[in-house]
Amino acid sequence: MLSTVPLNSGRRRVCGSVFSPAALEAHPKSTSDFQREQTPVASFQEPTDSSSTFRADSQSTSFATIGGLTDAASPEEDALNQARQVAKEFLSVPNLGFELLYDFRDTDGSQVLKGWNRLSPPSKETAEALEYLMRTSPWTLFEWYGNDIRRHFLVNLRTGLSKLLKTPEEDGLLRTIVDCLQLARRIYLAPVVRYVLPLIATSHQGGFLAQLQSAFNTVVQYSLPWKKISPLLARELTQDAVVILGIDTLDEDFDADRMSLDGMEMERGYSVSYKDWRQELPEAQARMMVEGEDSCVTIARDRLLEFLNGLQLVGLGGDQAQKVFANVMNIMMGDFIRAAYASQWESPSTVPQHLEQWVENVYARLAVQVLAIIHSDPAGTQSGAMEVSLRDVEKWKEMGISRLGKLRVSELFDVVVDWPTSSGAVEDLRRFTSYSSGARLYVTHFFSLNLLQRLLHPGASTVEILQVYISIIRAFHILDPKGVLLDRIARPIRRYLRDRDDTVKVIVSGLLADPATTDGQTATGDTLAELAAELTKVHQHSLQSNRSELDYDDIYWLPDPVDAAPDYKKSKSADVIDSLVSLFDSKETFVKEMQTLLADRLIQKRPNYDQEITVLELLKVRFGDSALQACEVMLKDISDSRRLDLTVRNDQILSGYRKQAGVGRLHAKILSRFFWPEFQEQEFKVPDEIAELQGRYAACFERRKDSRKLMWRNALGQVTVELELENHTFKDEVTTWQATVIYAFQSDSSEPATITIPELADQLEMTTPLVRSACLFWVSKRILTEVHRDTFRVLEILPTEDEEHHAHAAGDFSDASDSEAGDTANAAAAAEAAAAAAAKESAEAAAMEKMNVHWQFIVGMLTNQGPMALNRIVMMLKIAVPGGFPFSNEELREFLGGMVSKGKLEIVNGGNYKIVH
Amino acid sequence: MDYSMEDTQNSAPEAQQANKLNPSGQKSDNQSVTKRLQAELMQLMLSPSPGISAFPDADGNLLSWTATITGPTETPYEGLTLKLSFAFPNNYPYSPPTVLFKTPIYHPNVDFSGRICLDILKDKWSAVYNVSSVLLSLQSLLGEPNNASPLNAQAAELWDSDQAEFKRHVLARHQDLDEE
Repeated sequence: MLSTVPLNSGRRRVCGSVFSPAALEAHPKSTSDFQREQTPVASFQEPTDSSSTFRADSQSTSFATIGGLTDAASPEEDALNQARQVAKEFLSVPNLGFELLYDFRDTDGSQVLKGWNRLSPPSKETAEALEYLMRTSPWTLFEWYGNDIRRHFLVNLRTGLSKLLKTPEEDGLLRTIVDCLQLARRIYLAPVVRYVLPLIATSHQGGFLAQLQSAFNTVVQYSLPWKKISPLLARELTQDAVVILGIDTLDEDFDADRMSLDGMEMERGYSVSYKDWRQELPEAQARMMVEGEDSCVTIARDRLLEFLNGLQLVGLGGDQAQKVFANVMNIMMGDFIRAAYASQWESPSTVPQHLEQWVENVYARLAVQVLAIIHSDPAGTQSGAMEVSLRDVEKWKEMGISRLGKLRVSELFDVVVDWPTSSGAVEDLRRFTSYSSGARLYVTHFFSLNLLQRLLHPGASTVEILQVYISIIRAFHILDPKGVLLDRIARPIRRYLRDRDDTVKVIVSGLLADPATTDGQTATGDTLAELAAELTKVHQHSLQSNRSELDYDDIYWLPDPVDAAPDYKKSKSADVIDSLVSLFDSKETFVKEMQTLLADRLIQKRPNYDQEITVLELLKVRFGDSALQACEVMLKDISDSRRLDLTVRNDQILSGYRKQAGVGRLHAKILSRFFWPEFQEQEFKVPDEIAELQGRYAACFERRKDSRKLMWRNALGQVTVELELENHTFKDEVTTWQATVIYAFQSDSSEPATITIPELADQLEMTTPLVRSACLFWVSKRILTEVHRDTFRVLEILPTEDEEHHAHAAGDFSDASDSEAGDTANAAAAAEAAAAAAAKESAEAAAMEKMNVHWQFIVGMLTNQGPMALNRIVMMLKIAVPGGFPFSNEELREFLGGMVSKGKLEIVNGGNYKIVH
Repeated sequence: MDYSMEDTQNSAPEAQQANKLNPSGQKSDNQSVTKRLQAELMQLMLSPSPGISAFPDADGNLLSWTATITGPTETPYEGLTLKLSFAFPNNYPYSPPTVLFKTPIYHPNVDFSGRICLDILKDKWSAVYNVSSVLLSLQSLLGEPNNASPLNAQAAELWDSDQAEFKRHVLARHQDLDEE
């Protein structure tokens, strides 16, 4: 080291020799350069005013001072100025272009630094000048250099950078920019760090460096608009965060790709997949997300952290970057939850635990690492304070749970449809809804909308809706045992179900379905057999669940939840049947439907009716005996009539009526007419033999039961028919009218009987469609053939295969057996169609019958109130007829038109109908 | 004096209570009236009797009806169509309906504004009567007037003295209401 004094004098000398006193003027180039470039600097500081109001600039003041000092040159100051001049010469950045920077962005930069002459040590003179300056007034030099950095950046790099920014967005663009900026930063700071800073006390170094740094950062931030940077940054962050957080591995396609590449499943200790996690033991679960990180994750993490380091260094970090990061992480959270847990509905659900672990070990880890780099402290000091507190982590977990809740709510409809295999999802949801009533409101609101869209429309069958409703009841019972949510959800469904005509029917037939045959499977086609199973299952608790709200011994009593509706009433339990039955205002509708269905089943011929009896007993537990009295009577009728039938038979035998050859046996079911629903039936005349039997049966019955009279319902019942024809026989159970029709074909003559439909209809007092239907039925059984249209003949001799073949071969060469099968099938189909037509006709007749009642009303109305228009008639009928008027205006118009043509009505002025006396 | 005070004090709350109870009681009455009238209408429609017919007016509350009687054969009213109005009180069937002939009629027991003197519509009313029985009674009243208590003395006198003149009066007074 040289002593101070000689060095001082030496420097003065050197300075004096090298620089003229008018130092500034001695370097016209640089000065003019500088002056010329004032404008951009000004625009930098006063962006709104680009015209050159530059003079107020601090930079210029400092130079003015220097200039001023130069004028009044004392030797001391002169030396100082000269030293400054030398230092500036040394430090100032050559005006080299951005392209250079861009080309070398990937290198370590030493080449560029050399090329830009940033690494060469200062000459001895310069070094002396620097040292001198550092001792006297380091601030001025650093201030000047800071400004010079800005100048240089704006002049040389800014345009290049903005051009780069304008390139259509591509991956890694921001990385390139950051690389360039980092290089630039090194170019700016290298000489200072290397040669200038060591000259001053260590304690001050940090401050000066920070000053330069901030000068650089400001100019970078200024020249790179954040609006453009932030999407790029978000892109970069997303790219790596997806890998680090493990979201990419959750993608099924991704897994498949990897597996096909590897050819075998990879042994992965590390996984964030919920599926893998579930399968592990608890101890392994805890370790799963902490240890054995995938190499690709590590790479991504390192890449990201390095990039962020650079970002922070060049001044693009800080608050704004944090905001972008927060945004990205927010999206990531949602993505992860969606990718990891969608359709993962197994019970018991450990999704919340998994999610919490993930947040703690993976999510928070990344957040901590990133935030440690891009903190807002511009000094760049690694402060010891944690950027992420434990409270934050808790908050994230909470957020995660709400996101999970949101996901589950959006899935809720499918969850309910898949019930009960999806109960895990409801457990998750339960956790979500326990947070706040806002969450509960969200669930109900969203789910109701979903229901309206997906369920409560005409396209969904009633069975489906009921099925879903049952699932909803069960699912929501788990979700919210108090039943408030269910109460809210169920209202629209119930309202909708009430509007459907067949709801009662579906429920009742479901109740009556045989649970044994349909066990295991839920809704089968069009019956809700599940209900039958439910009925037998639940009835045990239904008895004890009748506790009232005012049970003072109930130590588990809780008040109704705050969000309960004012008229909310807690349902007793998750009792599906109760909920369904309570759909209707009165039990009457329900019982009536029950009667109809029960009637249909009871008049069928079956060995026993245990199933019906069981169901009835179970229902009695619910509804009480009185409501189901009619049904009970019906069942009793059936069992009584069996006994009675036996007695009557015995009587007949005792009193000498023997079973005669050719006449069948007659069994009867005696129904108490008052308690049975109306049967729609087709009247016809039974064969005389049967009628005689009936008469005898009735006589015996009336002897047994005084003052009772038997009315025969000929159309209801089954007949076992045995037919013997020339070369084939037939034995089966058919309906009474089918039997009657075939009986009419019986003849003693050897010629097969041939009868036409009108004849039959006349003879049997049966409607033509019904006759036709019966005949076609027998054609399908190959007992009759239709020789001409509406003329049938008994097929005594079944054509042999050969004959048939010939017959067909004569016509065409189609496959005989095929066409034969086709014929019978056709005939069967035709028979069915005809039966349907007959049924329709009888239904129409019934409708007509109903209309006749209305006709009486119309007559009364028109007689007393004078002529009326159609609308008025309809209105009055709606008021006056009990149970409302079921026909449309058009139907009524047609009906009234018929009455007009029959001469019972006339149309008077203005289209009013008037009764004709 | 003291006692009477006490009485009024005692009775007052009761009266008030009765007043209070009244509206609700009336309401339920109204419902039962409607129900009863609906049942009667249904019965009339399902088993119509020849010559009589009745139907509620279009006001929708079923408390006013219009009825039609055809004059019985072998009476001066043969072939005539007579319209009546029924107004049912709120406590029907415990009080009789108010029945008036709307068609001008010349009859010993009907005055010129259509009011009818018939015991079952007054003091002999019983809850077992109904629209159809009232109409049947009126129909028979047309053939067998009760001349002991006539509202139209001239008609009563003519009925006994000169059937032909009576019938002329009937036809002169009659006027169809149909085309109103």
